[in-house]
Amino acid sequence: MTPDRILAEVRAMLIEIIGSEYALSLEINMRTSFEADLELESIEFVRLASMLNEHFGDRVDFVDFLADKGFNEIINLTVGEVVTYIADCLTPAGALDG
Amino acid sequence: MAEPVAVAIVGMAAVFPGAPDLATYWSNILAGVDAITDAPASRWDPCYYDPDAATTDRGDRLYCRRGGFVQSATFDPSPHGIMPTTVPGAEPDQLLALHVATEALADAGIDKALSDRSRAGVIIGRGGYLTPGLARLDQRTRTANQLIVTLRELLPDLEDTQLEAVRSAFQSRLGPPSPESAIDLVPNLVASRVANRLDLGGPAYTVDAACASSLLAIDHAVRELTTGRCDLVLAGGVHHCHDITLWSVFNQLGALSPTQQIRPFHRDADGLLIGEGTGMVVLKRLTDATHDQIYAVIRGTGVASDGRATSLMSPRVEGQIHAIEQAWRTAGLDPAQPGALGLLEAHGTATRIGDATELDSLTRVFGAPNGAGRDIGIGSVKSMIGHTMPAAGIAGLIKAALAVHHGVLPPTLHCDDPHPALRGSRFVPISSTTPWTTHDRTPRRAAVNAFGFGGINTHAILEQPPDTTPTRRARTLGPERILLLAAPSVDALAQQLQRSDAGLLTRDDAGAPPAGGPCRLAIVAPTTRRLALARKILAQGKPWQGRDDIWFTTTPLHPTPAPGRLVFVFPGLEQDFTPQVDDIADHFGLDRPQLGDSTVLGQHGLGVFAVGQLLDAALRQLGVIPDLLAGHSIGEWNAMSAAGIYPRRAVEELVASFNPAALHVPGLLFAALGCGADQAADAINGVDGVTVSHDNCPHQSIICGERTAVAAVLTRLQARGITSQVMRFKSGFHSPMLAPYLNQILETFAGLPVRPPIRPIWSTTTVGRYPDNPDRIRELAARHLLEPVRFGPLIRRLYDTGARAFIQVGTGSLPAFVADTLAGRPHLTITANTPRRSGLDQLRRVATALWVEGWAPRFDQLPLPGRTRAAGHSESRSQPIPLELGAPLVRLGAAAPTLSTAPRAPARAARGHQHPVLDEFTAALREATTVAADVMDSWAQTTQPSVAQEASTTRTFSLANMPYLTDHCFYRQPEGWPESTDRYPVVPLTTILELMADAARALSPGRTVIGITNVHAQRWLSVAPPATVTTSTTRHPDGSITVVLEGYARGTVLLAAAPPPLVSGKPCQSTVSHSRACAVTAQALYRDRWMFHGPAFQGVSHLGPVTENGITGELTVPEAPGALLDNAGQLLGFWIMMRTTHDRLAFPAAIEKISYWGPPPAPGERVRCEVRITSVSAAEVTADLDLHRAGGQLWARIERWKDRRFNTDEVTWPVFLFPEHHRIAQPQPGGWYSVHERWPDPATRELIMRRYLNITERAEYQRRTPHDARQWLLGRIAVKDAVRQWLWDSGAGPLFPIEITVNDDASGRPHVTGPFTTPPVVSLAHTGSLAAALVRLPGSAPDVSIDIEHLAGGTAPHRTPTAHIGGVT
Repeated sequence: MTPDRILAEVRAMLIEIIGSEYALSLEINMRTSFEADLELESIEFVRLASMLNEHFGDRVDFVDFLADKGFNEIINLTVGEVVTYIADCLTPAGALDG
Repeated sequence: MAEPVAVAIVGMAAVFPGAPDLATYWSNILAGVDAITDAPASRWDPCYYDPDAATTDRGDRLYCRRGGFVQSATFDPSPHGIMPTTVPGAEPDQLLALHVATEALADAGIDKALSDRSRAGVIIGRGGYLTPGLARLDQRTRTANQLIVTLRELLPDLEDTQLEAVRSAFQSRLGPPSPESAIDLVPNLVASRVANRLDLGGPAYTVDAACASSLLAIDHAVRELTTGRCDLVLAGGVHHCHDITLWSVFNQLGALSPTQQIRPFHRDADGLLIGEGTGMVVLKRLTDATHDQIYAVIRGTGVASDGRATSLMSPRVEGQIHAIEQAWRTAGLDPAQPGALGLLEAHGTATRIGDATELDSLTRVFGAPNGAGRDIGIGSVKSMIGHTMPAAGIAGLIKAALAVHHGVLPPTLHCDDPHPALRGSRFVPISSTTPWTTHDRTPRRAAVNAFGFGGINTHAILEQPPDTTPTRRARTLGPERILLLAAPSVDALAQQLQRSDAGLLTRDDAGAPPAGGPCRLAIVAPTTRRLALARKILAQGKPWQGRDDIWFTTTPLHPTPAPGRLVFVFPGLEQDFTPQVDDIADHFGLDRPQLGDSTVLGQHGLGVFAVGQLLDAALRQLGVIPDLLAGHSIGEWNAMSAAGIYPRRAVEELVASFNPAALHVPGLLFAALGCGADQAADAINGVDGVTVSHDNCPHQSIICGERTAVAAVLTRLQARGITSQVMRFKSGFHSPMLAPYLNQILETFAGLPVRPPIRPIWSTTTVGRYPDNPDRIRELAARHLLEPVRFGPLIRRLYDTGARAFIQVGTGSLPAFVADTLAGRPHLTITANTPRRSGLDQLRRVATALWVEGWAPRFDQLPLPGRTRAAGHSESRSQPIPLELGAPLVRLGAAAPTLSTAPRAPARAARGHQHPVLDEFTAALREATTVAADVMDSWAQTTQPSVAQEASTTRTFSLANMPYLTDHCFYRQPEGWPESTDRYPVVPLTTILELMADAARALSPGRTVIGITNVHAQRWLSVAPPATVTTSTTRHPDGSITVVLEGYARGTVLLAAAPPPLVSGKPCQSTVSHSRACAVTAQALYRDRWMFHGPAFQGVSHLGPVTENGITGELTVPEAPGALLDNAGQLLGFWIMMRTTHDRLAFPAAIEKISYWGPPPAPGERVRCEVRITSVSAAEVTADLDLHRAGGQLWARIERWKDRRFNTDEVTWPVFLFPEHHRIAQPQPGGWYSVHERWPDPATRELIMRRYLNITERAEYQRRTPHDARQWLLGRIAVKDAVRQWLWDSGAGPLFPIEITVNDDASGRPHVTGPFTTPPVVSLAHTGSLAAALVRLPGSAPDVSIDIEHLAGGTAPHRTPTAHIGGVT
């Protein structure tokens, strides 16, 4: 799956979490910050995590991604970092070697 | 080559035409507001205007009457420690300069915390013109006597007494003489007064370089900073002089625009219009401004003279070029470089020669458009506000700095056909607000010109600060505007939004929110972008809550037929606790909460509790009143206190008593899980030693348990893709694992007094309402500690009962929990506080969100834009006094007719003088005599004609001639205390009313007093020592008489030939609802000292019910003059004490109207009094009062009786009531006592001062400067209280503060005298608003003393100081 596709799916999830009516004012790209730009609350971030989990299943271990991050790191994350992590997870392991 | 210059502008403030503050000034500039108007008659008399004056040589007739005028300027003296009585006599520009200087420092965020005042200077540009104060002095001293001299020459038969009456009438129109203000005519005082009031010890002086003055002040300030003599300089300019003399000068020079338009750089510009204003900036070296918000950096200044120009009045290109090039050399920059400059704020006087010369100079310095193109925007703010003369440079510099800061090129007006010289230059007039872009990382750079008469030229270069601290948000100036729109349909709403952006952006609806609905839209701090988004939101038609500070709905949650309920939810402890509440406390006059170290459990809890209480109080002031209360975890205790279950202090003690070590349940952890409680319960299934402690919402629950058990659960959850986080708090709250440790907490709980809740409160333990029974409340409080917090279920339950709006009274995650729980169901949830923005800004959003949903918050309780307000001072307490910015011609008005009844004047005319002037004069006199005769005749029908219209008498008030005032002393002192001034016997305002009525009766024999209106008390009239007071009376044409006790009080007595008919029966329906009997008896009212009054004033014989809207009572008429109405006032005062929790002390300040029916009731008669409260604000309480005689007839009705409230709180209140048993100073660990100032209001300070200081100490207090005296007073209180407590500890009985006298020995150390044989040794330290004192027996311990030092990192002295006790070396 291309990063563009993943970004589109993450964007759709974020709009669902924040509320589709607010899409008017939401610009979501790779540089968008969850906290500063989207004003995402931690609970909403949890919702995003569980949606990602549902959507991508075990292939993307989002809990693991967050596990070693501190509170400040999490709130300062950008959409791009999440998209890149997902893309990495979805890349077949062998692709790296070859 | 001069030194490199880099001086940061860190604060600014301004008052200019159409702009009472900086924020309005800037929004006017952006919106292109033309503030030019006709001259108000209060500035110069309309008789001076003559459109044909251009063709005559008369210097006293003007062909132009338009200019820039500051309208309705006011000054609030109280925060500056200035006596209100001295304001009218002071030179207005001095007060405005002080106001603007204070605002500028506040804008820089350094109003109180200025570290070294001795290195802070004030340099102000000001001209030596005939300013209004000076003009009034001239009128009083010269014109008044000129008038007499001329009258005497014309009419030699006039008697001296008649002339004297004319002189006196003339002078009295100028207001009372104020000898203390006479010194104000010395022009440099404008700077000295700022330095004096703000206690700045650096250079303070004015400079005069005509229209270049304020840029010259900037140049001086830059030098003071670069040479290192000052670390901070306030610099700017003042000009408030629309005197006819100044206008006449420009009129005679032909410099005023004949077309009455100021059009800088227009092809047909024909002259200037005169403006006025004050602007100031706060400057620091850039290297020192590491923590400041920087508007712009001054990179260079240049100053040069024209030398031998053709005339003093014609500008010279060489001098201007010299100044401009000097500045650019200093900056090390080449002006000819493309992109070197983006904006030139020109001098731009719009005179032909001025504009042409300036453009010539600019073209020569900045070169032709060859390589650079026409790349520099040019404009002048004079096109909007007129030429503000010595303040012109600062007006331009502030505009340029804001343009650099905001990155916009602001428009200049009236330049649609630009001057031809512009075509060959790099300069283009800016016709509308445009974004300011620069290339190749060049900083935005602006330059300012100011050229003065006589050939003095100045230039300054401003630059964007180096980009070391990129800020996301532009700094907001002053209170944010709010746009509020309401309409019956979305289409109608959209129509309202179709207006021009400029109109919508400059509007503020907070002062008068529109009515109507149901469709409502609101934008906080509207911008063009937000307006565009709002239009899209309307087109979309779906509700919108808060994103981009926009709110919109078509289906409000609080429509009138089925109002949704409002819930306050109090948060508990959260990891991040950085509330923003100091500004809220300051604004509402509440104490700033002491926020301790949030890593210590007890201190963190205390902080959360204090913030909740503060926000609860602030929200209520905003008219945001909860229907229900709830709390999360220990936030529930806060809710219980707000519900009235626990007294506030009890909860404070409870929370403070948390000993983290004792509460630390070994080995227990909390972990937050990204799932609901059911999933959490499933995950812990089978794991011992862990439990679900919080059910917050569908996507968050918290478990509590032993470390290993929690770890096992988290592993299990990770496998299920559920996030989790171990929390910092380590305790077993809300779990059964706390049970073994519960005893100590329960013991504390058992000691707390519990009352049934007076407001509905819900429990997260039972998900039901709190019980009313105190025992059951105690049980529930214990369960709350052991059982899970079921927040999500409670929110659902409250929703089902009709709750729709949930306000978090603190900071934290509760709104997110609510939103997650109620996802998809219409509701509003918002936090009252957030670390993201200032406290007041967030409250503004809370009010806005609620307004859109149909509630009616009191926006007027928040700071509003465009309202002149002294920084750091509670808006609601301010008492702005209008400033007279003009000195118009004196007209004698009502006094004229009687003065001119000179009997022999007409006769003299009849003798046949043939002189045109005299003829005219005598004709006028004759006419005046006739008018006067008519007036006299009409009076004669009811009363004797009175010769004296204005009279004044002098009387001494003393305890000897008013012995009953021994029962009206503010301060109880020890029995037999010899010094009567320490008791402060004061004439009640109601007794003053009697004096006024007596004075009026004496002038109107045979007439009856039927009322008194417009009663105002100015200050206490104390009779010990005896006071000599001048009483002046003025009779008005309608027969009413204004009586002024000069300096103390005034009122207008209404008289009639006969009293009005008696009103029998019950004249008005009682609106005071009768709910419950009063808990305090009339006897207890005096016995328990609710009232300080002695027997002669103890007339309240029965206290009726106290309800939320009033009180009734029975008064037994006492004998002392004025005592009956004083008793009525006692009822009002008592109501305030009973119904408020702080600022409970209040005294009468004003009465709008009293009406009497019939003679006063006789002593001993019983009168029923009903007090109806009409408004309660932070500063005052207003009520209407009716007094009925026994038969039910209405005897007196008092309308809008205003009681002024004084700062009291739970600490000072007992000291006012029982001073001999209570103290203000607070004991501190280590045995010392601290006092911080709990009374921001100077009037309250005076009350406290008199409570504590005896006669000799008061004399010492008065000798000190206000700033010094304030601190000194805190020290006296600290010592006196420490000594009293020391004596009480050793078994002493009651002790009043004045029984202890504190003296300083030669080395400045305090020593005390009082009722003891061996005085204790005292040590005292103070800093800022804190004093600390330590007391011990001599020789009892090694010599110790006390000192205060600031903890590292602390910048706010009131929060962080700690006292140290150490050996004396």
